[in-house]
Amino acid sequence: MAVDRSRLPAVGSDPPFAFPTAHRLTLPNGLDVRNVEHRKMPVVSAVLLLPGGSAMDPAGRPGLASLTAALLDEGCGGRSGLELYQELGRLGAQLDVEVGMDASTVRMTTLGRCADAGLALLAELVSVPRFEADAVDRLRALRLDRLAQLRDVPAAVADRAFARLLYGDGPYGHLPSGTRPGIRALTRADIVAAHAGAYRPTDATLVVAGDGTRAQLERMATSAFGGWTDGGSTGTDDPAARATASADANGLEAARLVVVDRPGAAQSELRLGHVGVARGTPDYFPLLVMNMALGGQFTSRINQNLRETHGYTYGARSSFEFRRRPGPFSVATSVHTRATCDAIREVLGELHGVRDGRPLAPEEIARAKAALTRGYPRGFETAEQIGRGLAQLSLHGLPDDHFTRFGARVAAVEAADVARVAQIHLDPARLAVVIVGDQAAMADGLPALGLGAPAPMSLP
Amino acid sequence: MQEARNAGAPPTGMHVPFTKQTLANGLDVIVHEDHGCPIVAVNVWYHVGSKNERPGRTGFAHLFEHLMFEGSQHHDQGYFQPLQQAGAALNGSTNTDRTNYWEVVPTSALDLALWMESDRMGYLLPALSREKFDTQREVVLNERRQNYENRPYGMAGMATMAALYPADHPYHWPTIGRAEDVRAAEFDEIRSFFETFYRPGNASLTVAGDVETGRALALVEHYFEEVPGAPTPPASEAEAPVLADEHRLLLEDRVELPRLCLAWHSPRLYGAGDAELDLVATTLSNGKASRLYRTLVHERRLATDVTVMQSSRELSGVFQIVATAAPGHPLAELDAVISDELAQIGRDGPTDDELERSVAQVEAYFVYRLQTVGGFGGKSDQLNGYNVVIDDPDHFEADLSRYRAATGAAIGEAVRRRLVRSPRVAVSVVPRGGGSLALPGSAAAQVS
Repeated sequence: MAVDRSRLPAVGSDPPFAFPTAHRLTLPNGLDVRNVEHRKMPVVSAVLLLPGGSAMDPAGRPGLASLTAALLDEGCGGRSGLELYQELGRLGAQLDVEVGMDASTVRMTTLGRCADAGLALLAELVSVPRFEADAVDRLRALRLDRLAQLRDVPAAVADRAFARLLYGDGPYGHLPSGTRPGIRALTRADIVAAHAGAYRPTDATLVVAGDGTRAQLERMATSAFGGWTDGGSTGTDDPAARATASADANGLEAARLVVVDRPGAAQSELRLGHVGVARGTPDYFPLLVMNMALGGQFTSRINQNLRETHGYTYGARSSFEFRRRPGPFSVATSVHTRATCDAIREVLGELHGVRDGRPLAPEEIARAKAALTRGYPRGFETAEQIGRGLAQLSLHGLPDDHFTRFGARVAAVEAADVARVAQIHLDPARLAVVIVGDQAAMADGLPALGLGAPAPMSLP
Repeated sequence: MQEARNAGAPPTGMHVPFTKQTLANGLDVIVHEDHGCPIVAVNVWYHVGSKNERPGRTGFAHLFEHLMFEGSQHHDQGYFQPLQQAGAALNGSTNTDRTNYWEVVPTSALDLALWMESDRMGYLLPALSREKFDTQREVVLNERRQNYENRPYGMAGMATMAALYPADHPYHWPTIGRAEDVRAAEFDEIRSFFETFYRPGNASLTVAGDVETGRALALVEHYFEEVPGAPTPPASEAEAPVLADEHRLLLEDRVELPRLCLAWHSPRLYGAGDAELDLVATTLSNGKASRLYRTLVHERRLATDVTVMQSSRELSGVFQIVATAAPGHPLAELDAVISDELAQIGRDGPTDDELERSVAQVEAYFVYRLQTVGGFGGKSDQLNGYNVVIDDPDHFEADLSRYRAATGAAIGEAVRRRLVRSPRVAVSVVPRGGGSLALPGSAAAQVS
C-alpha cells in the first residue's frame, strides 16, 4: 500500500503514564527515605538532597555551600582522598555533586552488584568528611583559578551579571560557584560550620531507585545511613526565612541595562528579564504553558523570530526559574554583534506581543501543552531521573502523585489562564538587560532601546 | 530481504537483543524491544561526515544536516513543529565520520516519526530553496562563532587537527568547516551531495523501545521501501597518517590561563591498541586517583585540570592530553611531568590495581550509557554505530571484552610505541602577549 503523503499521520492518544510508586520510610535519625523499584537495568542510583544551597551562603562568603560540597570527596572517615577515589574506581561508581541556589544534591550511580558498598561510601562522605586543611587550601586555589577562567566565558559572565542585576546582595544575587573575594575569605571553620548546618539527616531526603525489591532498597538505605547523626548541631535557620530577609534587596534597582564590555567579541551574550515567581505560585501550570509557547522550545515565538526569521542566533530560549523564593524570568541568547540591538528590540516586541497585540493562538497553546505533556514519560526513563524527580518533590513539598497528575493539570489550563499570567507575570516595562559584548560596536543603537544609559558593573 | 538476529547469542555477557533486516533499496533496519517506558526511539545514521568533503569545500556535511530540519516535499515547513507537538525530543549531529538524526517519541507517534524521516530521506530536494540555504548558512556561521571563535580555547582543536593531518587528509579540517568555505558554499552543491550520500543503502535505521518487533519492521518497510535505492558511495580511504617530526604551535587567545594540548596519531576505532589506549586515558585522568590528576593537580599544583582521551574514528585515531596550567607555571613544566608519567607507564604498564579499576570504570559507564533507548549514546545510537562501522549490531559483548582482555604488558607496549616513541603535535594556547609561557620553539598556528 502506498504511503499517504498528502497529510501527516495522526498521532494516537497519549499512552498511559504513571510515575512509579515511591515507598517512604523515616529512619530513627529523621532521614526521609524514598525508594523506587526500577528493574530495567542492573543499576542503582541514590540521590541525597540537602536543602539550603547557595542562597544560604552568609554575607561575604559567596561560594561557601559550593566549596563545602566540592570537599566531600577529598577524604572521609578513615579514608584519604586517594583511597576514597580508588574505591569509587573499583566500584565503577559515578559520583556527582551539584549545588543549586536552593539545595545541594549528592548523587551516586553504581552497578546493582556494587550498590551496598556504593551507598555506604556515599553515607560516609556526606556524614564524616575530613575537610583537611591541605584539601581546603588546594580546592580554594582551584576554585579561584576556575572563577578567573570563567571571566573569559561570555555565557558565564552574563549569568553572573544578570543574577547580580536582579538580586543585588540578596541570596539569589550570586551564582553557587561564588566570587573570588568570597572564596578567598573562606576558612576551614566556615566550611565545618556550613557542613554541620546543612548536612543533617533531619533535613535531608534520600531517594534510592533501581534494580532491587522494596525490601532490598530499604535495607540498603537503612544500613548505609542509619548511623548518620546530626552531630549535636542545631542546624541553621529555616532557609526560606533566611532568603526572605534580603531577597528583594537589589543594589542596582535603578539600572535596567548593563553592558560588560568585551572589545572585539564576535557575539553578544544577552540576558533579558526580571524577578519572576516562586515554585509555590498557584499560576505554575499556566506559566509553564505560556512560557513554552513564548520561548520554551524550538518552535516557540522567540526562537522562531531570532533564529529562523532573522538568523541573528543559533538559538534563543525563555524560562521561569521556579525556586523556593521568586526566581528569575529570563530570555537567554547569543547573537551576532551587529544584531545586538535588533535582537533586544525583537525580544521586547515578543513580550509586548504576547501580553497585548498578539495573544497566543489556540494552536500555539495546544502545541505548548503537547510539548509539555506528550514527551513527559521520557523524563523518567533512568533510575537517576526518577531519583532526581523525587528529590525535587521533597524540596518543594509536593505530593507523591505530582508527576502522575502533571499531564491532567497542564491539560486543564485554559486560554484565559495563559493570557492572565502573561499580563501578571511578564513585565516588559521592568525588563532588565545584560549585554556581554563589544560595547563600541553597538553603542550607537543602545539609546533607542529606551532602557536608559548602560550602567557599569564590577563583578568581584 | 535479508534478515539476521542474535537469538543464538550466548546467554551470558552484555547483549542488546535485536532483529535486523535490509530492505530491497539497501536500508538497514534494526529493531530492539524495551517496554520499560511508553516511548520509542528512532535513530538514523547516514554514513557521511566531514571526511567526505574536499579541501576548499569544507563544512558542507554539517550545513546539510541543518537543511534536513527545514522541510521536505510533503511537509514543506519546519521539521521540529509536528514532532515536538507530538511530544518528541529530537536532534541531529555531524562528525567526521557520520551524520545522525534521532527522535524519541511517545509510542503513539511512531508513525509520525517514520513518515517524517522517510519523507526527508526520499523527498528532500523538491523543498529546498535558496532562501533556506542562505538562512541556514548564517545560522551555521553563528554556531561557529558561538562554539569556537567566541569560546576560550575554542580554536585549539582545529589547530591540532590541522597540524596532525596533511592538508588533503579527510581529518585535516573541522566538521563545522572553515568560515570562508561555509560562506562560499554553493546552493547547487546540495543536489549532488544528497544524491550521493543520503541514499537508503548508505543509511542505517534503528527503532528501539515500546513496540513489537513485527509491527516496527512492517511500519519501517511501509514508509521507506518506496525510497529508491542507489549505488553506495565508495568507502572513504586515506593513507595511514604519519607525523615526521614534533610540531609545536602557539595560539594567543582571550584566556586567563595557558593550556597545553598534546596529540598523537593512534589506532582507529576498534583497531589493535584502541581499547588499551582507552584504558591508558582512564588511568591517567579519570578521577582524583588517576596519575596525571594526582601529580599535576593534586601534588605539584602545576595544573588546574587535565583530560586525557583516546578519540578513535574510522580512518584513524587521535590520543590527546589537555592540561591547563595553574597561575605562574609555564607549559614546559607541565610537559615535563606528562612526559615522565608516559615514560613510566610505558616502561612498567599500569599496576594490577589500576588496571582492575580502569576496567571496572569502563564496564560500568558502558552500562550507564545504555539506560536510555534514544538520544546520543543510548541503545539505538549504539546499535547503529556498530552496524555502520563494523556491520554487526551485536557487538556489545565483543566491544567490552576488548577491555577485559587488555593486559598490563599490552598497555605498556601501546604507550611506548604510540606515544613515547612517536612524534606529536603540541599546541600552546596562551593569553595575549603570553608567548613566553608556551613550549619553547612554538610557531604561530594558522587557523581560520
